[in-house]
Amino acid sequence: MNEWAYTAAFFIFAAVTVASAVGVVTKNDLVHSSLLLALCFVGVSGLYVLLQADFLAAVQLLVYNGAIAIVFVLGTMLTRRSIRHGTNHSEADAPSRLIGLISGLFVAVTLGVIATTPWNYSSAGAVQDTPAVLGRLILTDYMIAMEVAAVLLLAAMIGAIVLAKGVDEE
Amino acid sequence: MNIALLTSEIAVLVLGLLIIIFDVLIPRQETHRSLGYIAACGVLAILVHSMTQYGAAATVYQGLFVVDNLALFFKQLFLAATFLTLLFSVEYVEKWIQNSGEFYALLLFALLGMMVMASANDLITMFIGMELMAIVFYALVGFELRSKKSSEAGMKYLMLGAASSAIMLYGMSWVYGFTGSLVLSQIAVKATASPAMLLGMGLMLAGLCFKLSIVPFHMWAPDVYEGAPTPITAMLAMGSKAAAFAVLIRVFLIAFSDLQEYWATIVSLLAAASMIVGIVVAIWQTNIKRMLAYSSIAQAGYILSGLLAGNVAGVKGMLFYAVLYMFATAGAFAVSTAVKNHNGSDEIEGFSGLAQKSPLLAVVMTISLLSMAGLPPMAGFVGKLYLFTAIADKGYLWLVILGFVMSMISVYYYMLVVKTMYSKARDQQEFVVRGSLQVVAVISLLASLFIGIYPGPLAKLANFAAQALW
Amino acid sequence: MIGLAHFLTVAAMVFAIGLYGLLTKRTVVGILMSIELMLNAVNINLIAFSRFITPDVLTGQVFVIFTIAVAAAEVAIGLAMVFRVYRDRNTVHAARLNEMRW
Repeated sequence: MNEWAYTAAFFIFAAVTVASAVGVVTKNDLVHSSLLLALCFVGVSGLYVLLQADFLAAVQLLVYNGAIAIVFVLGTMLTRRSIRHGTNHSEADAPSRLIGLISGLFVAVTLGVIATTPWNYSSAGAVQDTPAVLGRLILTDYMIAMEVAAVLLLAAMIGAIVLAKGVDEE
Repeated sequence: MNIALLTSEIAVLVLGLLIIIFDVLIPRQETHRSLGYIAACGVLAILVHSMTQYGAAATVYQGLFVVDNLALFFKQLFLAATFLTLLFSVEYVEKWIQNSGEFYALLLFALLGMMVMASANDLITMFIGMELMAIVFYALVGFELRSKKSSEAGMKYLMLGAASSAIMLYGMSWVYGFTGSLVLSQIAVKATASPAMLLGMGLMLAGLCFKLSIVPFHMWAPDVYEGAPTPITAMLAMGSKAAAFAVLIRVFLIAFSDLQEYWATIVSLLAAASMIVGIVVAIWQTNIKRMLAYSSIAQAGYILSGLLAGNVAGVKGMLFYAVLYMFATAGAFAVSTAVKNHNGSDEIEGFSGLAQKSPLLAVVMTISLLSMAGLPPMAGFVGKLYLFTAIADKGYLWLVILGFVMSMISVYYYMLVVKTMYSKARDQQEFVVRGSLQVVAVISLLASLFIGIYPGPLAKLANFAAQALW
Repeated sequence: MIGLAHFLTVAAMVFAIGLYGLLTKRTVVGILMSIELMLNAVNINLIAFSRFITPDVLTGQVFVIFTIAVAAAEVAIGLAMVFRVYRDRNTVHAARLNEMRW
């Protein structure tokens, strides 16, 4: 990929990500918010491709768009009482300007940190065959983390079933 | 690589899965009680087995999982806490929780998460262990399906917990970015006081302080403690907190040990704020679980102060205090459970006349509360003494004085509960206490007194465990 | 030339937007979405560091796999809890979760 195309792609994906993220938190309608969230996930996965993490870009699309965004839409539809309009208002009495200011300040501080930190860049080339290397790492060095993650998903499933099923009215 | 080092974790996991299977196999009317006892026996067996692992100092999986005396000490603490919780919760679960099999299985999975946290030597393992514990607790807090408070508490815990872990993860990403490593010992080698490192460290401290319910990240604790089923409240106070301390000790004394001058001031202020807020606000509480929540905030402040010493004596004080706090909490929550089973309420008013109805439980509650307050000859006094001497050596005399003043104030509100218990009974209903709950009460009573009068053995063990870090 | 700083900046912005949503949103689902934004910012950070700081070992990418798994579990529990709260009191507004004082 030549450099010009890379730069253009970065700015497009970055703009999509940030703009849709802003939409998620400012839209007053939960369904709109969840769709924008899905768009934001797509933008993020584009950024992953630019970072040569192609496997994770695919995982991002599958898990975040295929599962998480859908679950959010489902959750929205199952819990809205009447019309979907005005289901995601921001807190009326929340000092949203102050909070906006704090968030802006956070970005400013982080930008300062990025600019002033002496990063130890590595000049090594990126790993080409990421799925194979990732698979090997997860099943050797990170074996315990993988097993614990498996237990975590099982536990989350049991917990979610019990909570969602609710009281058995016998 | 020696897979035998993982036996206790594997055993806990298998036990959890067996509980799920038994829940399906055993006929319904018998399940409720027997599952709890099976789980308790299993945990006790694993606890006994883990005694044999002392002295090992080995790592598995490229040093990502370390089995040393410190990890083992914490694991035994978690196992003991779970064992006591299981024993005193059998009747509670029977009465208020519908899905008992899932309840016990999830509790064991949370135990597994804590054990992984104690042994984690890199940020990924640590994070995944912490999330296993946290996610299981989100579900368990909301497990009392008939109570509105329980679902509300679960929701609040989940929202704030997920936000705090996102913040902690963001901090971890900066630490990883600057040092290029996720393994604690390698982070320590490359850590210098750069802006990215300090930002990452600050965010990680904030995330951990949430788990420890340190002021100002304590807002969730009173509501969650009040709404959660009492056994889960007990586990949050004993297990979840100790597990977060296990992680905190490893991260701040190994990975960030060279940056101590940067975190020491903040940690001392956090500890002081927790002591003050936890104790002052507790005075006005009328609900026993809320009161114990504020008390646990203050206790976390005391334990946190030990980190400031940054040496064996400080860690020894933290470990010692964590154990005695575990026994005192087990006693206090066992009695609260008995009272709730009796009259269905968590209000401190409900304790009136307990001394007449069940003198044993009243004595256990009194001793547990006074141990938390730190009155001699109870264990809490010795624990505070170890912590305070360790940090006074490092020049934190103001914190020691504050700690003493606050612990004197705390005696006041603990005595309010005691006064209620020794007042005249309101009703004449007979007070029935299950044998297993009495066992927990007696264990807690004896432990609080024994550790207070003969602190030697436990102090030696804690010292032995603390040396694993240096 | 697009470098590490650009990706970190995007991540910082997404994280701050998530933080803003976390503090201003009124419904539980909206708050959970904001948390997902924050987790995505973390993932961008991790992968960017993995690419520029340690391109030859993929530790950052391994970490991302685990955070994605955890995020999925968190959402599952979260939405289950939302259903429960909704059934209990017919609302998903965080401000109406006020049985107990905050």
